[in-house]
Amino acid sequence: MTTSSKRVPQTMTEKILARCSGRDSVRPGDEIEARPDVVISYDFPGYTDVFFKEAREEFGVEKVSSPERYVLFIDHMVPAASPKEEELHRGTRAWGAAQGVPVHERKGIGHQVSAELGYATPGAFLVHFDGHVSQLGAFGAYAFGARKGVLEAYVSETIALRVPPTVKVVLTGALQPGVMARDVFHHMVRVMGPSSCAFKAVELAGPVIDAMSVEGRQTLCGQAMFLGATTMLVAPDARTREWLQGRACLDVPAVQPDEDAVYERVVTVDVSALQPIVVVPPSPANTRDLSEHVGLAVHAGYLGSCASGRLEDLRIAAQVLRGRQIQPGFQLHVVPTSQAIMAQAAREGLIETLVEAGAFISSPTCDYCYGRIATMADGQRAVSTGTLNTPGRMGSVDSEIYLCNAAVVAASALEGCIADPRPYLEAVA
Amino acid sequence: MTRLNNLRGRVAWVFEEDDYDIDLIVGVRNIKITDLQELAGLVLADQAPGFAATVQRGDLLVGGRNFGYGHPHYPAMRAMRHLGVAGVVAESFSPGFFRGEISMGFPLVTCPGILGAARRGDLIEVDWSAQQVHLPTQGRALPIEPLGASERGTLEAGGLIPYLKARLARAPATPGAPHD
Repeated sequence: MTTSSKRVPQTMTEKILARCSGRDSVRPGDEIEARPDVVISYDFPGYTDVFFKEAREEFGVEKVSSPERYVLFIDHMVPAASPKEEELHRGTRAWGAAQGVPVHERKGIGHQVSAELGYATPGAFLVHFDGHVSQLGAFGAYAFGARKGVLEAYVSETIALRVPPTVKVVLTGALQPGVMARDVFHHMVRVMGPSSCAFKAVELAGPVIDAMSVEGRQTLCGQAMFLGATTMLVAPDARTREWLQGRACLDVPAVQPDEDAVYERVVTVDVSALQPIVVVPPSPANTRDLSEHVGLAVHAGYLGSCASGRLEDLRIAAQVLRGRQIQPGFQLHVVPTSQAIMAQAAREGLIETLVEAGAFISSPTCDYCYGRIATMADGQRAVSTGTLNTPGRMGSVDSEIYLCNAAVVAASALEGCIADPRPYLEAVA
Repeated sequence: MTRLNNLRGRVAWVFEEDDYDIDLIVGVRNIKITDLQELAGLVLADQAPGFAATVQRGDLLVGGRNFGYGHPHYPAMRAMRHLGVAGVVAESFSPGFFRGEISMGFPLVTCPGILGAARRGDLIEVDWSAQQVHLPTQGRALPIEPLGASERGTLEAGGLIPYLKARLARAPATPGAPHD
């Protein structure tokens, strides 16, 4: 038992990083070497293939130490469309087999499947090349996109980092019908600013979070980078524990923030009056009210990605589309985030509803997000639940991407223009 | 331990927008190009045709707030380095971009006020020991934000790989070990 005089109040971020760096406590700005509980990677040309090569050739690492601390996902270029792509996957499978590192393939987008496999254990420290891994923070893990720094985790036990200050964001009010986690996140970017949390960790709290599904929390946390944050976390609660029942696979102590933890800043964002939003090109910083863009012609819709292709997204899209037909010529692509989600959607009849409405359904893959599949031509415009709206992200640089929630994608598919889903949802209710 | 060399060159380009997505430098359609010569020829082709020919070795880029926002893919700065660009001085950086480029040994200098002070073509010098950016053309100097120890060590070593090699050679990393 720590004596009260020595006790240092800490945020979740500080507690997790303290444990992983072998210290009793850490402070923002401390330079630490922290041992990740799991190193998560996806295979993509220039990422893992390079790490494997550099680890061996530059550092002489023939075998990673403690292979149980690594996991690989094949979720891009699935299925392969060229011999070269398949060759990359073959290399990843071979490396995993030789190292004793699990390779999960065709199970879904790795950030989601990581959670399904239980790596998102509350209190865990997880690293990845890719920043969207922050969505595992929805389960109370510290999940951090270390970029090239992941190489460090391949060749040593630890990774060097500076302990970030923590910003606490308290979300108050209650969401109106048709307003989803996606809208909440982009509203946060609008009111707080796209660099408001630069180099900081964000811990979410408040009645909106308490009432929000685990999936909604994943959506929020996965987008942390667009607030500049290194990651985003939610304190585990009964909802988290229920979701993780039988899944959590790491033996680490769950953490809660101390009530007297020192935050760099506490920001309160009231979402009571929030309406559905749309994020207009060319930047994820450009949050607008949906109403400003209703009626703008769109040609394609993408409902999927690590940000928003989970069951609640598919369910609300099915509510909007049930018994209706999408506009002829409109390309609606629905891509459940994982195979488990797709199977459950099938059991619930959602797939049938979506297909009958005219949607094209694909097995989970990252490929729609970056235009490898369903590429747009010059002058086309999409509504999308993907992560990014940079020109060219989904095809031609002369095409446009409007980011929005799943219900907006569905309603827009019916009307062939950006549409408000709420009348359709009211008709269902 | 070597010291960081000061940077001295001209301002090759000023990115005035906040939250600048560096994919736009080469164009998203080009980010999968791996041939550096080809990629370098595409740098700022949409904004300033012929830009590549104007760059001299040691030139620097100037950026606004949150430079590198979005998905911080590597081709833009790989192309810039191929042209001879030696670093970026910006109001502030997006963390993913910052961590990624520092790991390449590419100096990123956080310097509040730089956007209003530097113009394209100006001489610009980053003085690490004085923790200042000098703009002799404008007769000004601005303070820079200090690097973290591992960031500085990475730049001094010339990138993450040599830095890690040196670190691992000194002592195998163990959790909790202090490092410089």
